[in-house]
Parts: sequence; C-alpha cells; structure tokens
Amino acid sequence: MQSAPLDTRYQIETPEGIDLPLRPAGLLPRALAFAFDLGVRGLAMGILLVPLALLGNIGIGLGSLLLFLVSWWYMVLFEVLNQGCSPGKQVMGLRVVQDDGTPIGWSASLIRNLLRFVDMLPFGYFFGAVSCLQHPHFKRLGDLAAGTLVIYRQQPAARPKIPQAAPLGLPFTLELNEQRAILGFAERQGELSAERVHELASILAMPLQVPAARAAEQLNGVARGLLGPT
Amino acid sequence: MRLSDASVVIRPRTPWEAMDLGVLMAREHRLLLMASWAIVSLPLFILLSAVFWKYPSTAVLVFWWLKPAFDRLPLYILSKSLFGETPSVKQAVRQWPRLLKGQLLSSLIWRRLSLSRSFVMPVSQLEGLDGDARQKRLGVLLQRNGGAARWLTLLGMCLEITLWFGAMALFYLLIPQQIELDWDWQRLAQASGSQALWLEHMSNAFYALILVFWEPIYVACGFSLYLNRRTVLEAWDLELVFRRLRDRLGSVAPLLLLVAGLMLAPFFSQSSMAADASPSKPVSTQAASQSIKTLLEKPPFKNPETVTRYRFGEEKTAVKNQARGDGKLPAWLEALLDNFNSSSFKHLARGLEVLLWSLLAGGVALLVWRYRDWLRTFVSRRGPLNLDTDLPVPTQLFGLAVGAETLPDDIASAAAQLWPTQPREALGLLYRGLLSRLLHDFNLPLTNADTEGQVLERIEHLQQPDLLSFSNDLTRHWQNLAYGHRLPPAFAQQQLCRDWRSLFNAGATQ
Repeated sequence: MQSAPLDTRYQIETPEGIDLPLRPAGLLPRALAFAFDLGVRGLAMGILLVPLALLGNIGIGLGSLLLFLVSWWYMVLFEVLNQGCSPGKQVMGLRVVQDDGTPIGWSASLIRNLLRFVDMLPFGYFFGAVSCLQHPHFKRLGDLAAGTLVIYRQQPAARPKIPQAAPLGLPFTLELNEQRAILGFAERQGELSAERVHELASILAMPLQVPAARAAEQLNGVARGLLGPT
Repeated sequence: MRLSDASVVIRPRTPWEAMDLGVLMAREHRLLLMASWAIVSLPLFILLSAVFWKYPSTAVLVFWWLKPAFDRLPLYILSKSLFGETPSVKQAVRQWPRLLKGQLLSSLIWRRLSLSRSFVMPVSQLEGLDGDARQKRLGVLLQRNGGAARWLTLLGMCLEITLWFGAMALFYLLIPQQIELDWDWQRLAQASGSQALWLEHMSNAFYALILVFWEPIYVACGFSLYLNRRTVLEAWDLELVFRRLRDRLGSVAPLLLLVAGLMLAPFFSQSSMAADASPSKPVSTQAASQSIKTLLEKPPFKNPETVTRYRFGEEKTAVKNQARGDGKLPAWLEALLDNFNSSSFKHLARGLEVLLWSLLAGGVALLVWRYRDWLRTFVSRRGPLNLDTDLPVPTQLFGLAVGAETLPDDIASAAAQLWPTQPREALGLLYRGLLSRLLHDFNLPLTNADTEGQVLERIEHLQQPDLLSFSNDLTRHWQNLAYGHRLPPAFAQQQLCRDWRSLFNAGATQ
C-alpha cells in the first residue's frame, strides 16, 4: 500500500501556515479550452482578413502582421491581463497561475506560450499530450519551463439547503472533517436516495444513542447546531 | 469492498477532475497497465495483420473493433489496485480469458459504438449487471456525467489520431539522412501493390503502439468517472468519515454498554443469551473472511507454543527434512545429503572438529604468548618481573658517552692532567667515569631518561655513604659547570681526583 492516497489536489502552504488546495486541470479540459481558443482565433482572423484581402498588397501586409499578433500574443495578453484566463479557459473554468499560486506574469506567460511550439512537435501536440498525461500535475513542456500550472477556478458555490430540524449539540467534540461530513450529509440529502440516507445515518446511530430510524433526523439537528443561527 | 482501503482520495469531484484522477491512476500503474495491454493486444494485432495481409485497413479496423475486449483487462487491474490488491502482470494476463466471459458479444456488437463506453463498462464488468437491471442502473448513472463521458470518448478519438500521426512523424524525423528515401506524399498516396502494403501495416503498428499508451488511460478515466458518480450518488466520502467517527467513539461506547449490561444482566440473561445465539445481522463477506481468519489463528486450529532453549545443529536437519518432505530437492542433492550421514563422513567430520578445536586452542595460546608481558603487568597479581636484567646497558646518558671502552683506564690521572687546560672536559670525564662505574660495577638500572637527581637517588639505595657523598659532590660541581659555567675551585679539583682514586682504584685493586 502506498504511503499517501492518490489525489488530484496540489497543496501550497503559504508563509502564514495556510494550506491552499489547488486543483490542477488535466489534458481533456485543457484540450477543449485550446480548441475553443483556436476556434475563436480562426473566426476573428476570418472576419478581419476578408476586408484586408480586398486591399491588395497592403492588405496582405497588414494581414501578416495580424496573423503574427494573433498567433503569438493572443494567449499571452489574455493570460496576463485577464487573471490567467484565455476565453477558452474562461469557458472551461480554468486558469493559469504560477507554481506557488500567484498570478501569472509576463515572462512566465511568454515562456509557456513560446514553448507551445515545442509541445506541438512533431505533430499536433504530441509531446505536450504525452507530458500532460505523464506529469503528476498535468504540465506540458511549456508549463514545466515557465513554472506555471493550469488549475480549475474556484466556482462560486450555491447556497446549500439544509433540512429543517431543531438545532442540537453533541456530548462529544467533532473534528473539522467530521463536522464537514455531517454538514455535507445534511446538504446532500436531496441527491441521495432515502434508503441510502437511512443507511448512512444508522452508522452513527449507536454513538448518537438514538434508534437507527431517528438517526438521520438527529444528524440534521446536529448539522443545524453546527451551522448556528442563520 | 472496503472504502477505507481505497488508494485514492474519495470525495465528490467535478467530472473533469474525476477524469484527471483517472489519468493519475493510470500513471500510478503505468508499467503494469501498458505491459498487460501490450501482452494481450499486440499478438492479436500481429495475427490480424498476418491474416489480412492483403487488406491492411481491414486488419486495423478489426483490431479497433476489438478494443472493448482488451479494455476489460485494464479495468480489472485498476479495480483491484483501487483497494490495494495490485496484481502482477502475470496474474492480470491470466485473468483475461475469464474476464472475457460476460456480455462479450453485446459489448462488441451493439454497445461498441456507445460514446460513454468506458463510463458504463464497470456496470457490466464489475457489478455484473445485465438486462433490465443494467438499464436501470445506467439510467441512474447517466443522469449526470454522461456528457463528460461522451467528451472523453470524442477527445480520446482525436487524441488517438493525433498521437498516431505524431508517432509516425516522429519516426519519419528520426530516420537518418543517409538512408532517407525519396518519399513524397503523392507517391505514397498513389503507391499500390505489395510495396504499399508494408507501409500501411507499419502505420497500423503505430496505431497499436499508441493504444498501448492511451487506451489504459481512457479506461482509467472512465472508471474514475464511474467511481465519482457513485461517490456522489451514494455519498461514499460521508460513509468513510462516519465510519471513522464511529470507530473513534467506539472506544467509549463498549464501556457504557458494559455498565448497562451489568446492571440489567439479572433480568435479561435469558433474552440476551438467545440474542447471542442467533446472528444479529448479516455480515459482509470481508467481515466474514476476517472473522474466519481470526478463528483459524486461535486454538484448536493453531496452538502456538514458545520454546526458548539453546540447541546445536538440529535446525539444519529440521530444514533439510522439511525440504525433503516437500519434495523440493532434486535427487542428486538428496543423495549428497545422505552421503554426508555415512560413517566415513562422520570420521572426517570428527577429524575436522578436532582440527578446528586444536586450531582454536593454538590460537589462544599464541595470543597469550604474544601478550605475556602485558598480561604479567596488568593481569598477574605478582606484578611485573624485575626487567632490569633484560634492559640493555645504555651507552649514553644525558648525551654523555658512558661505555667503558670510551674512557681511559686511569680516569683520575687523566682528569688531573686535563684540569689546568680543559677543566670542563676533566670534570666531564670524572662524571662519565662515575656513571660508567655505576652502570657496570654497581649494576644500577640507569636509563637514558634519568636525571642527575634520580641517579643520586638510586645511589642512595646502594647504602654506600662514601660513594654517595662523592657522587653528591661530583654531581653538584658538574651541574655548576655544565649549566652554570662555574668552575669548581682548585682544591675541589684535587679533592675529587683523590676521592675517585680512593673509591674506585682501591676497589679495582681488590
């Protein structure tokens, strides 16, 4: 049995001793985000190049400049100026940060986007995909060089609904994860089947010193008690 | 299935994160997964290529179509390793024919093109559901995460193609320039006949190799998506924490029960006995196997006994007999072992034993002899022997030559002659003469380390007042001259020579 169980989390400890759990994003959402960005770029180029094509040689020159700007600066500008989110990443709920969780800067963004062309070798992101599938934090070669990390953005959580029950205290203390589990039990009851709710609650029937049938109700009361007045 | 044994962190994740976990799981067992997949799929690929040599596209199509059959092996490995029972490559490959039994045809025919193939594969393979039960289960599972599973398959297809072309491009780039062929795309496209066949088979082989890398990841992603769906549906994470909480509090609960039981025992003894006799609730298979194991560890099945004593040689025979009993030893080795028991070998062994013991004794004696002085000094009660006799007589004391041969015969007259011209040499001669006499005539154990004062102390032990007073005088004058550069007065010079003559020449004539 290995020492630590596998997890997709990436823990950063701040100097203040606070653990920041980041969730690195894997190949699949990133590929979708890239495809979206590619589509956006293609669309923009198509729209802009049509009038330029009518301008003859000047148009071709301007078009080349535009092509250069879009292919080399699209990602960099969006990442640096939009909190690490290109439009595709925005759609997929992703974000680029430095390895230590700080926002990405110009140099890191330039490096990771210049090395995109190494990732593309020898054909269609071959190296990038293999590196992404093999690295524990799903980094492609550009990420490795720039010291950056693509993570899932924290989505604003909806306000959970907790079943009505009389708030209850417990005669024993609960640890943090246990408090979370009891709150989670109360919040997620809607998604669980009634039998499963009963089964889960009956695990704790004996410590709570209530009959198994009333354990779920009791746990909801404990959750209310943990939540405090709302 | 015991959730507490899970080798991954169980908590509800978003579908994408769940698939990322699958990538990590595949990474954890990458070698095992790739090796077993290669062992199973590559021989079949070669066979297909041989059979459909004329039709390479058919070969790769059939190979592609058979993917669900191969996929069962990674899924088996992953499901085993999820709970820490990672099989070896050999065990896994042996399991493969058995894994193929259930619902193979349906998975190869009408479920082959399902986009959520990897997501629903555990339902039939691990849960063993079929027919209506399976449909019902899928209905529940696919309520969510179905979209992610379809994206997984679509992206997987794109990735396969990308990696396929990438691998071929890499191969092309790695061909040395010297043997570069004049390939161009038009010729390759138009190439036909047997020349093109091997090219196509080679590109098919790249596809098979790419699948060795990618397909286990695809299966793992689907499996972790399935795990995540069930985690959400059945709140596995909550169950895990609740069970731990119960175990934590369980150490208190038995005490309460005991107290309550003691108080109520007289009234409820009958009913509690009855309750004990009948199983209170159905036990899970894990719990049952656990309790069977603990029962088998206890008497009367196992009676462990600890015996502690010293033994010689018996272990060897025990091991040998055991090995022989198991029939694990080859015949020649057994014969050899039997020979060792015969009488001639016994004599030989006896002789060897004697030899070894005498070697040991000799070694000890040698050691004692080598360190005899050390032993006598530090171990023996009598203390060290008087070693003076052994010491060689020093030929020099404080830098003065004291050998009898370096001195003139008549020291006093020689000194008296030297006095007027070289008083230092004269006094030195007298002192050397004294030391030489002490060494050779009186056998004083003087060493090079003795000082003048120590020499005087030794003379004191001789109990000869004349000698002592002469020596005192001489030493005092010698020290004054040697260190203080003060010449002895003239009468002292005469006195010393006279005393010398009276002390030693008289002794010499005796």
